Amino acid sequence: MEDRVSREHSAIDVPDLTNEELQRYDRQIGPGVLSVEGQRRLKGATALVTRVGGMGGPAAQSLVMAGVGRVIIAHGGEMISADLNRQVLGSEEVLGKPRAEHFAAYLRTMNRFVTVEAIDHEPDDREAAELANRCDVILACPPNFTERLRLNRAAVESGTPFIDAAQWGMTGSLIVVRPGETACLQCVYPEEPPFEEFFPVLGAISMATGALAALEAIKILSGAGTPQYGKMLMVDGFHGRTTSLELRRDPNCPCCGGMVSTK
Amino acid sequence: MKLRIAVTGRSYHQADVLPGELTLAEGATLVDAIRQIAGLLPDQQTLPPACLVSLAGRHLGTLGSYENAKLHDGDELVLIAPVAGG
Repeated sequence: MEDRVSREHSAIDVPDLTNEELQRYDRQIGPGVLSVEGQRRLKGATALVTRVGGMGGPAAQSLVMAGVGRVIIAHGGEMISADLNRQVLGSEEVLGKPRAEHFAAYLRTMNRFVTVEAIDHEPDDREAAELANRCDVILACPPNFTERLRLNRAAVESGTPFIDAAQWGMTGSLIVVRPGETACLQCVYPEEPPFEEFFPVLGAISMATGALAALEAIKILSGAGTPQYGKMLMVDGFHGRTTSLELRRDPNCPCCGGMVSTK
Repeated sequence: MKLRIAVTGRSYHQADVLPGELTLAEGATLVDAIRQIAGLLPDQQTLPPACLVSLAGRHLGTLGSYENAKLHDGDELVLIAPVAGG
């Protein structure tokens, strides 16, 4: 495992921006936001978001609007009525139809300068590994730890920065992982927490959490600001409380133990 | 000695039955505090073993496996139950 290293954002291509693109992103280029170089990095970057429901939807939307050059979304199944309290990429017209295809079509209407790829299922181990190698950042937004830990493994194996976003009720959590340098998801949860099929959730917290996940991805990809690597942010909207916790890395973690970073 | 406590994450609603702080004997440890919290929960209610344990901003593991620590007056103990919804 010693030969695995964390990928640097400097490895991202930095294509030029057209005048139209500069005009589109005018409000997000400047002091305290993105540099032109950072915007170019976004254009050259690829992000994977899986899944694109309550949190992944707003996350993907934010990445597309910000100008991440290629956004890959993965989500299986058809949209049902109960999704519409939080899944912002859907609509009444999408009920009963495949989520991935329709969500991607909606995202494409938001920014003609980016490419959106749709995968109509949740990636298995092999596909997750392949996708991780194509991506510069992974946003994990599935409803269970099996998928989260699978994506975490793929991120660690490929050295790809990883953002885990999760929600329950009026609570949202974020964990940002820099493989080889900070705790990975498996360091935090050595035993997989139980699956809960019908969890309560309010759309407002889904959207807030998804947007914060996208913000972390944008910082990582562009080089702007300070990514919250190695930390958990828990937003308890019910009680109006936020908790930020520096996560402890497990040197014996079966996923990332022994891995080193280039930094 | 006073210890501020908070439960957040998946089980935040359980925090409503807990006091905002515990009173513990001098020299008490994290194990003592967690045992006291467990005793304050209503019958049948438990916090999940995967709950993260944070003492004074330090991540010490999960309820299923955490590093014991000496408590100091005014410390804050936060128990963060895992959330997985997507």
